[in-house]
Amino acid sequence: MIIVWQCTHGALAATQGDTLRFRNSFKGQAIFPGATWLHLDSGDSLQIETLRYYISAIQLHKGGQVVWTEANSYHLLDAGAETSMQIPISVPPDVVYDQIIFQLGIDSATNVAGALGGDLDPTKGMYWTWQSGYINFKLEGMSSRSTARNREYQFHLGGYQAPFLSMQLVSLPILPTRPIQVSLELERFLNELDLSSLNHVMSPSAKAVALSRSLANSFIIQAP
Amino acid sequence: MKRFWAVIAGVSTLLGFSRLDGPAFEIPKNWPKPCYDFSRNPVSPDKVALGRALFHDPILSRDNTISCSSCHSQYNAFTHVDHALSHGIGDSIGIRNSPALMNLAWQTSFMWDGAINHLDVQSLAPITHPDEMGEDMTHVVTKLQGAARYPKMFLKAFGDSVITGEHTLKAISQFMLTLVSAQSRYDSVMRKEAVFTRQEMRGYKVFKANCATCHKEPLFTNQAFENNGLPGDSTLMDLGRMRVTHNPADSLKFKVPTLRNIEFSYPYMHDGRFKRLSDVYQHYSEGIQASRTLSPVLRRPIALSSEARVDLTAFLLTLTDKRFLFNPNFSYPKEN
Repeated sequence: MIIVWQCTHGALAATQGDTLRFRNSFKGQAIFPGATWLHLDSGDSLQIETLRYYISAIQLHKGGQVVWTEANSYHLLDAGAETSMQIPISVPPDVVYDQIIFQLGIDSATNVAGALGGDLDPTKGMYWTWQSGYINFKLEGMSSRSTARNREYQFHLGGYQAPFLSMQLVSLPILPTRPIQVSLELERFLNELDLSSLNHVMSPSAKAVALSRSLANSFIIQAP
Repeated sequence: MKRFWAVIAGVSTLLGFSRLDGPAFEIPKNWPKPCYDFSRNPVSPDKVALGRALFHDPILSRDNTISCSSCHSQYNAFTHVDHALSHGIGDSIGIRNSPALMNLAWQTSFMWDGAINHLDVQSLAPITHPDEMGEDMTHVVTKLQGAARYPKMFLKAFGDSVITGEHTLKAISQFMLTLVSAQSRYDSVMRKEAVFTRQEMRGYKVFKANCATCHKEPLFTNQAFENNGLPGDSTLMDLGRMRVTHNPADSLKFKVPTLRNIEFSYPYMHDGRFKRLSDVYQHYSEGIQASRTLSPVLRRPIALSSEARVDLTAFLLTLTDKRFLFNPNFSYPKEN
């Protein structure tokens, strides 16, 4: 059960020790890897085994101006690990905001900075080894629609060099609710995905960029 | 003097400064600035020692049989002795000749196709490749954490006995950064401490007229990717740089390798197809295959007389750096 406070007026003032909550959903229902089969509009079914992605450079804006920037802002979110979906943030109480901006993925400069620690440690399974670069978004599972071996599908989306730059900027107006709750609503993305013709993307490519863009457009602020 | 450096190194480590002119890493006189960012991984003797232990330890491979030095042996200028294509665990064979390792602080990209963008993350590729060490980086960290000697070495090097992927990779980098080859006869001549023989001098002129565009001094590579006209090998189907960029203009291009220690780094080319320097000369004079991506400087073959070839060889032998090849600081650590 998620508790939501309703503010009575204007933009919202956060206090220290807030949490930025992420959630993954399909038709509004929370999804957890491995557990459930989703029913696509096509009549096909789909299961998600792995859903992990990087959120970075989190900022709050007010009237188009930056009012708060998270320091060292790199987070690996794993749909299978609830704690990773809750990002503790400490925003000064006097900061008022109406928009949240973050990156889906890892910026180019960080991609060429060598071995890094924390969520960026290459042991986290989100770094390509045969060709340098972070995997910004990992989505794996099975679907009756997939024509691949074992009906699997596997999307490892990344690429930090033109023309295959896959990191995306996400910008969302924030409703006066707290804590801030962002949902990755996959209904449209999964329904538009044709797993019979595209079930594996494992390297920087135009397809990886297109899928990343589509995923970036799938974030919504969760209504209280 | 030794004590002075030890103090400087100690103080710099404390302050987190990189000490480029400390004992572990020095920029040779008249060399360009390294491209490695030492501020993110300041060199310290403890980290170098840890990296050296890791470099020579087969624990990095899945079945604990292959170490970095298996395919990068010191007396071979840190390439793979006698093997055109390098082999990994379970006798599996890769598709390329392992590159000679030296002067890596100046290297802008890694692997024959430049797929790796930073020295720190280079080791991930051989550690995880199924035909090389076939391991998983997370499992490597688990194995190191469970080994008797590593937690204390990591504690000494990084102030933390909890081993991470970041620290493991940075330690291996530190050792590799110390592999500087700049004490060949050629270097002595450039520093005016020695003179070339007449034959070496003639060879140097042949080199400057025919090879120096790509094999640029003092690193003896311009680090560019070029198609040097080798006929494609249909059993390998290796498109080189194009694999990374997906750009047809990069088809069959490979990184220009250094010529330093060429006497010991045979066999030559990305697939080790040439055993001898004479094979290489033969290729450049008569074997270049024209194609859309052939290097413009090779549109005309490099026709060398037999005298010029002998002179050129005499010059190339001056690039042998025995102090590098037999430096006891680089070999298998005795305390292992």
